[in-house]
Amino acid sequence: MPHRRVLTRFLLASLLIVGSCGITAWCQTPPSSVTSSQPAPAPNPPAAPSLTAPLVVKEANPPSADDLAKGDPGGTLTGTISDVAVSDAKKGLTLGDALNQIGQNKVAINFVWTLVAGFLVMFMQAGFATVETGLCRAKNANHTMMMNFMVYGFGLFAYWVCGFAFQMGGVGATANLGGTAPLSSEFTVNLLGKSWGIFGTHGFFLTQAATYDVGVMVLFLFQMVFMDTATTIVTGAAAERWKFAAFAISTFFLGAITYPFFGNWAWGGGWLSQLGANFGLGHGYCDFAGSGVVHAVGGLTALAVSMIIGPRLGKYNRDGSPNAMPGHDIVIVLLGCFILAFGWFGFNPGSTLGASGNGALRIGSIAVNTMLAGCTGSFGAILYMWMRYGKPDASMSGNGLLAGLVAITAPSGFVNSVSAAIIGLIAGVLVCLSVEFFDRVAKVDDPVGAISVHGVNGIWGVISVGLFADGKSNYGGSWNGVNGSVTGLFYGDPGQLVAQLIGVATLLGFVFGASFIFNWLVHVIVGQRVSPQSELEGLDVPELGALGYPEFVLKAYRA
Amino acid sequence: MKILGLALIIVGWLIPVLALAFTSSNSARLILSLVGIGVTLVGILGVLNKAHLKHAIWKQ
Repeated sequence: MPHRRVLTRFLLASLLIVGSCGITAWCQTPPSSVTSSQPAPAPNPPAAPSLTAPLVVKEANPPSADDLAKGDPGGTLTGTISDVAVSDAKKGLTLGDALNQIGQNKVAINFVWTLVAGFLVMFMQAGFATVETGLCRAKNANHTMMMNFMVYGFGLFAYWVCGFAFQMGGVGATANLGGTAPLSSEFTVNLLGKSWGIFGTHGFFLTQAATYDVGVMVLFLFQMVFMDTATTIVTGAAAERWKFAAFAISTFFLGAITYPFFGNWAWGGGWLSQLGANFGLGHGYCDFAGSGVVHAVGGLTALAVSMIIGPRLGKYNRDGSPNAMPGHDIVIVLLGCFILAFGWFGFNPGSTLGASGNGALRIGSIAVNTMLAGCTGSFGAILYMWMRYGKPDASMSGNGLLAGLVAITAPSGFVNSVSAAIIGLIAGVLVCLSVEFFDRVAKVDDPVGAISVHGVNGIWGVISVGLFADGKSNYGGSWNGVNGSVTGLFYGDPGQLVAQLIGVATLLGFVFGASFIFNWLVHVIVGQRVSPQSELEGLDVPELGALGYPEFVLKAYRA
Repeated sequence: MKILGLALIIVGWLIPVLALAFTSSNSARLILSLVGIGVTLVGILGVLNKAHLKHAIWKQ
């Protein structure tokens, strides 16, 4: 953080100059006479303390070397004035050293918070892998698990090469992470009398344009695991018939182009985020943790791929009526749902990018909102299924939990707990209706319900910000460059709802459109779908050369 | 049909975006945003998906 050092030195120098001037002025002031008729001049304020002079500290009582040598079982001797780094050992501790330590502590807290949250989100890959594999048939277990495994690597590589630069290369200062100053270049076009940010241009390979920077690295890790979440959504919807090579190419495109571009428009300082500043629409498009940027992007890409590759063999009869194709292991499905719910505590509260400063203490409220919406989401789904089909359905209860979590992702930082519960409950019912719609009406085969969970409820989450944001969350005084707090229609700002709807239209128009065109080209050139023989046999051996459960499948065949 | 579907999707996206320049009324922008979303949905589910279903594997 060289700029922080420069700023500190500038402040030090300023205070020294001010202090010196004060002392000089005090010395040149003539002594006042008690007999003078002139009023006595006001006493000058004491000179500002020097930041570089040794600090005389009273009552700190640092432990002696002898005390420390005895150990500190009570934890009262560790972490004292002795642990504050000094810039000049001869001079000892100065006020400047103490203030630098405070600043570094704030950024360190935020670094650790953001990194740990990112690690939690990374662990969600395990949840997605078990949910998707469990909901597929045993003969495709290895193939489904491998797609979930390799999507991490393919997506990460594409994002490191160019995705991160396109998304965050022009984001500018991220105060909680100490500045991220090198991410300062956004490609813009002038349209309708305004400047529209399209994509960032700093950060390719995490080295170009001085982006070899500690703050940039933290931001990259956190953003990368979000992008990977979007890419792994697609593997569920296209499972049991997607050619592995086509999956790899499609994932690269999503991680390098589609996701980063929409991510830039929403989070990287692009045009959607500026709808408030440029056109007076609330605070511009607001998506706290990614119902739109992550889940709707993944869900709509999943829709495009599912439409292109078509339904599994045996899913529909000749008259178009659907057949149920249950998964092989509901136990790992529900285990995966729990893993995902756990990881979501990194997803939403971690999106403050810090736990210290700029309203970041709302992490408690965000975590509770996340918890509640997941809970009411599973309630909504289980009640719907119980009333409609007579029994509580396990897989749809899991999907209800996930739908509630997806829906609360965008509004989690802007709404109160009652709104969070309502948003989750609606999401739980919506996911059931949506699964039935895609299964029976649209006839789009989605083995795990990814389009409904992530696509439909991602869009619902985006809209819910425009309805339920209560105007109480003020992260450092402004959001997207507009002063004040994000406020939805129910709390008095219809403009915010318009901004959210423009975001939804962009998701449908740009994200779906670009995904469809690219994947259609892949379909024409490479082919997206495996052969009917491979599909009937199961994709494990034809695509990967090994069965997921060799003995289990062997017995099933012989039976 | 596929080209028509894609065209509808893009037009539906551009309707609310271009509306930003033509009106400053939030009500008008709200209505045009909903119209735009409706057009994209018709393009995706009504046209593009139907074009794919014409040659669906279960019909063959």
